[in-house]
Amino acid sequence: MDSKKKYWKGLEELNRTPEFVEKNKNEFAEPIPIEDVLSGDGLSAKTPRRDFLKALGFGVGAVTLAACQRVPVHKSIPYLIKPEEVTPGVANYYSSSYEGQAILVKTREGRPIKVEGNPNDLFSKGGLSAQAQASVLDLYDVNRLKDPKLKGSEAGWSEIDAFVIKELAAIKAAGKNIRLVTSSINSPSTLAVIAEFIKQYPTAKHVTYDAVSYTGIIQANQNSFGKAVIPHYNFDKADVIVSFGADFLGTWISGEEFTRQYVSNRNNKSLESKKMSRHIQFESGMSLTGTNADNRLAIKPSEEGIAIINLYNAISGTTLPGSKKLSSKAAENAITIAAKELVAAKGKALVVAGSNDVATQVLVNAINSLLGSYGTTIDLDNPSKQYAGNDAEFVEFVNELSRGDVAGVLFLNVNPAYDYFKAKEFTDALAKARLKVSFADHDDETALLSNVIAPNHHYLESWGDANAVEGYYTVIQPTINPVYNTRQAEHSLLVWAENPVKDYYTFVRNTWNESLLAKGGLSGQKGWETLLQTGMIKATPNTAGTYTFNRDLNAVAQTILTHSASIAAGDGKFELQVYQSPAIGDGKRANNPWLQELPDPVSKVTWDNFVAVSVADIKKLKLSEGDVVKVTANGYTVSLPVLAQPGQAQGTISIAVGYGRTNAGPVGDNVGKNAFPFYSFRNGTFQTTATVTAFEVTSIKAPLAQTQTHHSYEGRSVIREAKFTEYKKNPAVHSGNEKGHKNYDEESLWDVPSHDRPVYDWVMAIDLNACTGCGACVVACNAENNIPVVGKDEVRRRREMHWIRIDRYYSYEEKGESITEEYEIDKLKDDAFDNVTVVHQPMLCQHCDHAPCETVCPVLATVHSSEGLNQMAYNRCVGTRYCANNCPYKVRRFNWFNYWNDSRFDNYLNNEHTQLVLNPDVVTRFRGVMEKCSMCVQRIQAGKLKAKIEKRPLKDGEIKMACQQTCSANAIVFGNRNDPNSEVSKALKSERTYYVLEELNVQPGIGYQVKVRNAVELEA
Amino acid sequence: MRNFSLIFKQFSRSVLIIAGFAFWGFSNAYAQADPAKGEAIFKSKCTACHKIDQQLIGPALGPQLTEETDDKYLIQWIQNNQALIAAKNPKALAIYNKFNQAGMTVFTELSDADVTNVIDYVRTEWKTIQSAPKAGAGDGKTAAAETGPSSMVIWGLVAVIIIAFIVILVLNRVVATLERLLLKGKGVVIDAEAEPTAEEVAEAKKKDLIKRILKNKKLVFFIILCGTIAMGSWGWTTLWNTNVHTGYQPVQPIKYSHELHAGTMKIDCQYCHSGAYKSKNASIPSLNVCMNCHKVVKTESPEIHKIYDALGYDPKTQKYDSTAAKPIQWIRVHNLPDLAYFNHSQHVKVGGIKCQTCHGPVQTMKEVYQYSPLTMKWCIQCHKRTEVNGKGNAYYDSILAAHDKIKKGEKVTAAVLGGIECGKCHY
Repeated sequence: MDSKKKYWKGLEELNRTPEFVEKNKNEFAEPIPIEDVLSGDGLSAKTPRRDFLKALGFGVGAVTLAACQRVPVHKSIPYLIKPEEVTPGVANYYSSSYEGQAILVKTREGRPIKVEGNPNDLFSKGGLSAQAQASVLDLYDVNRLKDPKLKGSEAGWSEIDAFVIKELAAIKAAGKNIRLVTSSINSPSTLAVIAEFIKQYPTAKHVTYDAVSYTGIIQANQNSFGKAVIPHYNFDKADVIVSFGADFLGTWISGEEFTRQYVSNRNNKSLESKKMSRHIQFESGMSLTGTNADNRLAIKPSEEGIAIINLYNAISGTTLPGSKKLSSKAAENAITIAAKELVAAKGKALVVAGSNDVATQVLVNAINSLLGSYGTTIDLDNPSKQYAGNDAEFVEFVNELSRGDVAGVLFLNVNPAYDYFKAKEFTDALAKARLKVSFADHDDETALLSNVIAPNHHYLESWGDANAVEGYYTVIQPTINPVYNTRQAEHSLLVWAENPVKDYYTFVRNTWNESLLAKGGLSGQKGWETLLQTGMIKATPNTAGTYTFNRDLNAVAQTILTHSASIAAGDGKFELQVYQSPAIGDGKRANNPWLQELPDPVSKVTWDNFVAVSVADIKKLKLSEGDVVKVTANGYTVSLPVLAQPGQAQGTISIAVGYGRTNAGPVGDNVGKNAFPFYSFRNGTFQTTATVTAFEVTSIKAPLAQTQTHHSYEGRSVIREAKFTEYKKNPAVHSGNEKGHKNYDEESLWDVPSHDRPVYDWVMAIDLNACTGCGACVVACNAENNIPVVGKDEVRRRREMHWIRIDRYYSYEEKGESITEEYEIDKLKDDAFDNVTVVHQPMLCQHCDHAPCETVCPVLATVHSSEGLNQMAYNRCVGTRYCANNCPYKVRRFNWFNYWNDSRFDNYLNNEHTQLVLNPDVVTRFRGVMEKCSMCVQRIQAGKLKAKIEKRPLKDGEIKMACQQTCSANAIVFGNRNDPNSEVSKALKSERTYYVLEELNVQPGIGYQVKVRNAVELEA
Repeated sequence: MRNFSLIFKQFSRSVLIIAGFAFWGFSNAYAQADPAKGEAIFKSKCTACHKIDQQLIGPALGPQLTEETDDKYLIQWIQNNQALIAAKNPKALAIYNKFNQAGMTVFTELSDADVTNVIDYVRTEWKTIQSAPKAGAGDGKTAAAETGPSSMVIWGLVAVIIIAFIVILVLNRVVATLERLLLKGKGVVIDAEAEPTAEEVAEAKKKDLIKRILKNKKLVFFIILCGTIAMGSWGWTTLWNTNVHTGYQPVQPIKYSHELHAGTMKIDCQYCHSGAYKSKNASIPSLNVCMNCHKVVKTESPEIHKIYDALGYDPKTQKYDSTAAKPIQWIRVHNLPDLAYFNHSQHVKVGGIKCQTCHGPVQTMKEVYQYSPLTMKWCIQCHKRTEVNGKGNAYYDSILAAHDKIKKGEKVTAAVLGGIECGKCHY
């Protein structure tokens, strides 16, 4: 109320385009064509009497017959011999790990239905990414390979084994090379299996290839300190963070871990002690991390290297040869300020860069060394093992292939036919090998070229281990019998290596018995069982040593400058940056409908990739959103729709990888276009930036399924934001409650006091300063509450079903002044769009005490509970949709279709097998009813029941919402407001707390905490 | 027919029982007094692990004790087999190893005479079993009788006959009418309007009376009103009870009797429905629960053999063949729709409600039927009437205190704690 700053979700909202205005006039974008039906031929045509009687007779007959069946017979089939640990109706949890992160897998009656974080996990302490949450759905993917394949047709495992062993023996005898190409592997057991395999076939070599690679960092650390590792970063120890294009809260190395660390210096607890870290981000496209930065500078990819050189100069006080000024004065200014702040925070400073260029990373190492980061914010002695890909090795492998030196290739968890930038060259070269084995569990692009497909288990069916960070060992245990006739890749390798231990479980046990159990002080069978329960071993970490950089930087600077010059585009031309979206990542999980429908955190686009262009360039080129453009760079051309992206550096475009799969499966196939071919190989690493050689506008339109402006507030103010300097003076600043919360009850429509809440009052507190907007909560909610996937066309019709959404708001920050009035926006230069700031706001049912939806429901399908919940009885709902109309927060979702049983949604969830992932404690909703966030009422009920059975009071924090549980940033707190000592009560007592649209006096049950930005003025 | 088969079964059973008694008396007359004592001891001490003619946990005692003639050794073994094994008696070791080194219970309390009595009893029993004709013909017959036509088919046939009969009657009438018309057409006039006879006069009078009654408007109105009310209330209750299946009693794949198990044998409900205390599902027991007893009890019953077949269990070798196993498809009696969440443990463990409150007198049910209507009205009525059982449960302490503060003295029912709110069961 008090803040007049203008926030907007999309340019169409800002500019009030006619289409937007039209669509927002109505609650539902598309009217139901009732008028068409009524005015059409259907009713005016005459029905002959006999036809009418026939129809009537048939109808009555059919209904009578249908009603004849008295009782539908339900079968009840108990176990023959019940496993001791299974009680039907009670969930079992097994500890396992996902990509090295400790997790708990919830199983019901022997089938995994949800993945949850392990609270003792080293990385996120219970948080999980959207991808990890969605991984359980892949288990039930009906498009997984059901049998191994030999030369394109299904075969038995014995045939496969015989064939592969014969071929490998022949290759070995001929002295030809064998290559085992895998993605990064940190599992000690898998590495041991590979070693065994190589022992048996000495011509074999292990090549590690990551589609999105960190070779640059590994190589730079080798060059700088003689350690070829990715260091373990400690963002929680950094007071000042400067990032050059590193999306460390999203896709960079270990997003969940960094989110937890980063937020610990910015959340409520930190703010209350008047402490907040500073974060300055230099980047081209708007990344998730960029949206969270205190100051964000849009620079071109070609200027990134120059910016780092300038930062080095400013910190070291020297001038590297060839240094030049940045084109943007604000950026240049920011470099000076950043340097000053970094130096002031020496030992508590951290500089990171997302570039995969070795020289750039060496220079970053030099800066960090100057800042004393090694041993504090950067730990080289407990390195991360999450990525180990070696780009040069892979390129060399392709060369070997094309020379015909390699006769046998095995692909494990890699798909170079899709994600290698010279896929054609690779494909042609691969044809020369006589044995091509793929362990893919889908008929993916590379598997299609292989003569043997030995499908691997899903990780929830596997045994295994991981060692994602030095000293942190996690175990993978199966939670279900293999669904299809698949076999674990390690098992296959052991069989083919004719190893005496053929069973991978035994192999894993041996590995752990030999060395790993001892690291956690465990031993023997008992130790192993303890491990299976805890899921991890944390060995005592090495002491993080300090490292000093003392190598010559002149050559390094020179390389950076040449590289910059090579991608710098002239006037009117574009520079291209290829990035990963947090939902789809490198595209390995492209066949997962939950991830495809998760709106990209920044653009809010679903089911597509696009060309992100700055608003100024869009205007210059007279483009409009959804126009298809042809982009050519590095000799590769794609046609994709454009998206006007505020914050995108002018003269640059960004395209996400991971899309454009052709053999991912029916969900992921032909969604978007492949951007991997834009990669190039320079100085031993893959480069993600390029010069656009041609940018051609076509007349085709391809509207994007973008959710950003769905669910409009009609311009009401819902975001509150403050500067850290203001906050320090008055913690309640801009919360609208500087003088305490206003009591609106005097002019209330509702009875006061409204409802009794004698025991529980379930409420939530969401810290806008902690929420990074990643969207993991959306997927967690999908999994917990059986939320259907609707597909691209339906999203375009504004019919997405997500119960929780993350609203992303842009606003201007020009010369330290926020833009408050619309006429001011008109006067702004287009440059202003480069400097937008972003606030993410999770929006879900607010469980208002005076819920407007309840008063308009004609059938009392939505009512209030004595525990403060706004409940929705689906079977009572007749679908008038009045409630959705009357909801000021636009959080109610209407089931336009019977998504679970409708052939139009075949690709997503309409098959019995995929439906095994459903949470049996939550019903699926039928066509024609409303649904919305239930505040995970099934979890509340289960938590209370557990306490009752154990005859003890309910503990605070015992019940966790699905969204809260997966949040690595702990932005969401849930609990009982009646308990003054509960976490949520304390959080809501914070001066920053405000309620969205408080002035309507609907008394929402979710309090938000003001976003605080630690920004400084950049332009002097 | 079902009744007939039941009667037949009971009849054959009683014949068998009488035969058995006769046989018993007969053998008793022959045997000496010793085996009678032996029998008592055998039944109290041995039957848990042994049978005379069949291997159970231990060997079949009939052949075993007949083949082994060294009574002294047998007495030693029965009194203290562990001592014999410890002494490495070769015979003892052989049998010990044969039965997977499962130690037999030690019976040092039995005197030599006791043991001799038991041995005598077993040997005579075994002899009589061997000489007696194979029983079981009766069983075969009952089984054959059970496969007779089901009642549905019989009723169907009766219905067809009745309908055929009606059709014949109608056709007869039609034929008669047609004949008359034909004759009429040929000019043969059948004089229907002859002089009224006395009977016809009486007939006419009756018709007159009916006509007069029909003209009495009040009466007609009253009758129609009654009819409407009757039809209306019938229709109302029918519609109101649509999909209410009280009394639903499907035929189950195994004739399992709750009357026998829960009633006569007094087995606790939780023994089989163990989920009721800890889960939302009370759960139908898995077959390994049945096998806890039925490995030994009633091993010849064809119904028990259905369990064996389902498990792929061979009672002779006592081995399981998991490849032959196939699950038993019980028919669910109590069906709640998916949209309603019901949790047994909340009611049984926390609320302390007896199973019979909702499921009726299960201990008297030969075949289980649905006792309660399982409608929402029924749920809510109970929630409104039932006081919360919070005694001794720390969970409720603060809750009941909070309620006391607001509404002093009022009965705290489940409904007061939100038990009739939509979201308690529908989510």
